Amino acid sequence: MKLSEQASNVLHDSMRRNSTTDDEREDILSLIEKLPDDRVYLYKNVISNPIGDLPRYSIHIRLQHLLTFTTFLLLAFTGLPVYFIDAFWAQPFSHMLGGIDVTRVIHRTLASIMIFSMLYHIVTIVGGTVHKIVTGKFDLRRTVIPTMKDLRDIKEDMLYFSGHRMQRPEMDKFMYKQKIHYFAAAFGNFVMIFSGSAFLFPDIWAGILPDGWAFYFQNIMRLAHSHEALLALVVIAFWHWYNVHLAPGRFPMQWTFLTGKITREHQIEEHFLEYLRNIVELPEERKFLNTLLSLIDLGKPEPQVIGNDSVPLGEGQRP
Amino acid sequence: MKLRYTRLAPAYLTFIIIFIPLYPYKANAVAFEDDEACLMCHKYIRMARITEEGVFRSYYVPPETFAKTVHRNVPCRDCHDYIKQLPHRKVEEGVRCDQECHSKKNPATGKPFSHKAIYNLYAESVHSREKNATGLDNDKPYCITCHTNPVYNPNEVEPPKEILDRCELCHEKRGFVKQWYFHTSRRVLDVKRTGQEVVKICIRCHANQDLIERHKNAADEEGRPLGDKFTIAATSYQKSFHGKVTRYGLAGAATCLDCHADNSQYYEGVHKILPSRNPESPVSQKNRVKTCQRCHEYADEKYAAVDPHPSFNKEFNPILHNAEYIYSIVGEVIVAALLGLALFETIGRRRDGIAWRLRKGSTWWRRSHRSRSRVIPY
Repeated sequence: MKLSEQASNVLHDSMRRNSTTDDEREDILSLIEKLPDDRVYLYKNVISNPIGDLPRYSIHIRLQHLLTFTTFLLLAFTGLPVYFIDAFWAQPFSHMLGGIDVTRVIHRTLASIMIFSMLYHIVTIVGGTVHKIVTGKFDLRRTVIPTMKDLRDIKEDMLYFSGHRMQRPEMDKFMYKQKIHYFAAAFGNFVMIFSGSAFLFPDIWAGILPDGWAFYFQNIMRLAHSHEALLALVVIAFWHWYNVHLAPGRFPMQWTFLTGKITREHQIEEHFLEYLRNIVELPEERKFLNTLLSLIDLGKPEPQVIGNDSVPLGEGQRP
Repeated sequence: MKLRYTRLAPAYLTFIIIFIPLYPYKANAVAFEDDEACLMCHKYIRMARITEEGVFRSYYVPPETFAKTVHRNVPCRDCHDYIKQLPHRKVEEGVRCDQECHSKKNPATGKPFSHKAIYNLYAESVHSREKNATGLDNDKPYCITCHTNPVYNPNEVEPPKEILDRCELCHEKRGFVKQWYFHTSRRVLDVKRTGQEVVKICIRCHANQDLIERHKNAADEEGRPLGDKFTIAATSYQKSFHGKVTRYGLAGAATCLDCHADNSQYYEGVHKILPSRNPESPVSQKNRVKTCQRCHEYADEKYAAVDPHPSFNKEFNPILHNAEYIYSIVGEVIVAALLGLALFETIGRRRDGIAWRLRKGSTWWRRSHRSRSRVIPY
């Protein structure tokens, strides 16, 4: 495979940061050389474990996701019946949850847990970033921070979907969709906490704000709390769940949020630059690719019958 | 022929069906004294007429129900004092609640009992009207609009035996003791209306669009002031956070009376509701902060400027109206864009051969329409 300039940069940068030995470097480069030029043949022919092959999320991120989504859904279930009080389902649903005396306590308790989850996340990413900087492993491209490349990726991806490009763009650990979703969720979280505090402490907020602001502040916060919650719920229900549960290749669900691992084919298809780092960091991944390439010729795009039940492609992973 | 008892079952059943309804049930004793024999006519359920305006009016007094009301011991003519003969003539005046009606003397003053004190407060309120008011005043509530005399006190079902036994030692008559218990317990126990009940009463008029229109038009024509929020008072409250949680039955959330009545003496305050332009009103500019502080400890002038009747109506709150419009548009655009992206992506990837499910290690086992099918046959 002839790597693009950015892919080559990522690969060499990763080898430098991981202090790869000369032997390993030679091994990696020869492996890359053997990969098919058309990346599509690679991710269409690798063998993936549904619950994940390659590391993606730490236990901290998984815990934060778990805390955030459980609290978010329950907050929505206890809050939306108040906003939609005239809807046919609202009052029976609220009554089923124990009535307003119970749901208001649940709502506030869960809000506290959600705030804790947010703080936990901030501590994790700040601490993790500091650690990576100290150990010399920090790479901005590997973070969720948006870059100009993301705009180019969006354009290239649209061209691929419409049939005007043969390959999807080479995207990093976090692709544009994930960055949009992450910052939308972070913004939504901030708005919900901020506006929720306006509901809970309206008099204190009025005391803090400059003269004449309290009226507009309360109006906007009351509006924002309900609309932001509704928007978040709709986006989660229709987009996020579609992407991680219902989209082709992800059905019935991506296990990443539980196992912290991503499937090999998914990593190559949507996070190719991160896959190159995986090749550098994970000797077992190099071994897998070498075995696969010894069995089939991915540069020859025609059906090939290969292997048998004894071919050691990986535990429980056979073509 | 031997007669079997089971063959007589239809006969038993017929007997039961025919004779059980004729069993002489003990009639409910009337708990109040009807010395003037008013029930002679008013006990009949069909005692009613249709007025000249076509309104059905019932004159039926259900004895068992009336016997549970606070007025059960008040002779009818103490209030209906215009009745001078039987059968009486057409009633024109009606009962005024400020008249000295009770024959028994008020033990505190030595005078006949009357609701005059509270009536006079009501007469100063914005709701004040004459008993037989006409025109716009007829829209205002009279005493019985709110005081529908429900049985509030569940303890009236039966007082505790220990209390009756104890009181009876000196007061001798158990019936008197029971009545006195009902009278005092009704007032001692917390028998205020719930927030839901308060709001329900207020919105009977304040959410009546015909009534609102009548008063607004009249005020406009006469050039007299009307409350800023008069036309949206009920609807905006019901859509506010206070209104919604009150509708859910949360005790403690602000109802109409919590702000519009002077709560320093609740029972006086609720009868003397004043317009916000009146400096004595709890929601006047002068008193607003103090009123807010009853629930919101740190409320100040800045907080008192917050709108407790938020409205998305462009006329009342253009900023909120526009903010909601923008929020709605942005929300719809975002959702449509994301769904469009998901659909576009799905079509594009499906054309390249992806399947919905990962099977035997791959999701790319379908044939690609872009001539790049999987090399390893599935």
